Amino acid sequence: MMLKVSDVKQFLYCPRVVYFTYVMPVHRKVTRKMEYGKEEHLEIERLERRRGFRSYDLSEGERRYRTKLCSERLGVEGVLDMHIVCGSGCFPVEFKNTSRHPGLNHKYQLVCYAMLLEEQYGKPVRHGFLYLIPGKRVHVVEITPNARTFVRKTLDQIKMMIARESFPPAPRRPARCFECEYRNYCADVV
Amino acid sequence: MYFLTEEEKKHLLKGLLPRSRELGIAEELRGWNWPAPPLQPVYDTVLALYEVANSYCPTNRDLYLRRVRRVFPAPSAAMVQGRVLHAALVHVLVSAKRLIYSVGVAQYQTICRELQELGPVNVESELQALAPEDAADLKRKVAIVTEFEKARIISRIQEILFKQPYIGEDSLAVLAIPVIVEQKLDGSFLGLSPNLSTDAFTVCEPMIVDLKFGERRDFHRLTTTGYALVMESLYEFPVNIGCLVYGSFRGDRLIINKDLHIIDDELRQWFIESRDEKARMVYEEIDPGFPAECYQGCHCYAACHG
Ligand code: SF4
Repeated sequence: MMLKVSDVKQFLYCPRVVYFTYVMPVHRKVTRKMEYGKEEHLEIERLERRRGFRSYDLSEGERRYRTKLCSERLGVEGVLDMHIVCGSGCFPVEFKNTSRHPGLNHKYQLVCYAMLLEEQYGKPVRHGFLYLIPGKRVHVVEITPNARTFVRKTLDQIKMMIARESFPPAPRRPARCFECEYRNYCADVV
Repeated sequence: MYFLTEEEKKHLLKGLLPRSRELGIAEELRGWNWPAPPLQPVYDTVLALYEVANSYCPTNRDLYLRRVRRVFPAPSAAMVQGRVLHAALVHVLVSAKRLIYSVGVAQYQTICRELQELGPVNVESELQALAPEDAADLKRKVAIVTEFEKARIISRIQEILFKQPYIGEDSLAVLAIPVIVEQKLDGSFLGLSPNLSTDAFTVCEPMIVDLKFGERRDFHRLTTTGYALVMESLYEFPVNIGCLVYGSFRGDRLIINKDLHIIDDELRQWFIESRDEKARMVYEEIDPGFPAECYQGCHCYAACHG
């Protein structure tokens, strides 16, 4: 089965979101926040086209937007916001709408994209970037061997959860449930 | 055995240390964030650090036997060997420190001579648990470790003394033997035992060192990770580096390999997951069953398979 890169992010935020997507699909309302997020991504894309590469610590390169990536081997596909191709390699960039330090789920989503880019270009990807929209800050993420292993393990966990149709426990941070669109379907959370 | 070679120092200073600082560890995975998830313990089961870190049995049934069924099989020969060789090393390091303080720098030749004459630690009671040929072999290994470490410390003392003409005892002890052995730590903040003990902790750069005799296993890094988290929870300073020291014997030679590593986000998450999984197993008294294959020489074999 093919998973989405965003499943890695969701699973690490709350595994139940992935359960509700694959095992027991339920209706999910598209919120205003989600619509707004899409518009914002387009705006960033427009602004990025005019910028140099200084914030990525690169002297030159070419930006490629919304690239469809897929790996049969890993069983995962996704659309990457942007990547930079230059003489020293290629680097995935994900746009994130957060002013706080990016979460671990964002980090592993980027690592997963880096693994897909490697397969596409046949070259190792050493690091990637999380572009934090509110402060226009760029956060560097090193793609370490352990981070790759962690992503592979997470993909296996997701596949196992789907195959066994096992309902996972709720996240241990109740704050996450307050913001969740699936909250009504989880009977055991407030 | 804990001292780094010149190449290892270079690898640490030019490679690992700057990288560990650049890498940036997620704040939620720092030991000082123990009051919040994911570090906050879920169950009130207290585990020893080795119980969280070790995974020789693929299903961890050994832990279930010990903690739920209260079955305590005798340690295997490999376990006794590890314990005894570790004690041999501690004996030399602590005796050397003691000599430096009691004899004093002015009589450094006495320090070196007495250290040279230091006999191996007495391990007769431990050897009784072994077959005679295993006991003889272990005794030989204890002597090798003791001689090796004595020679290393004497040469370090001499090297420091010729560079530092005005050095005092305290400084000599720290420079010649820059490790604290068996440092006691309270792991309660992380749901671990209040009486933990690291094999060694280096003073110059906070680094957890763990000594192993036996094959390398990927989960060995969980030991250094666990101690790093505990240190962070107690003292609130970052501990980013771990070092596993692997000792082995080729005839009469001691071979030492080190695995210097960054205690990164992934190791920290792996440790926490392992803690939660195992604490649940004990708390809920879940028998994890048998693995597809039991490992060679498991000390629980008789208890598991009758
Ligand atoms: S005998 Fe097998 S199941 Fe029992 S603890 Fe050892 S490896 Fe695990």
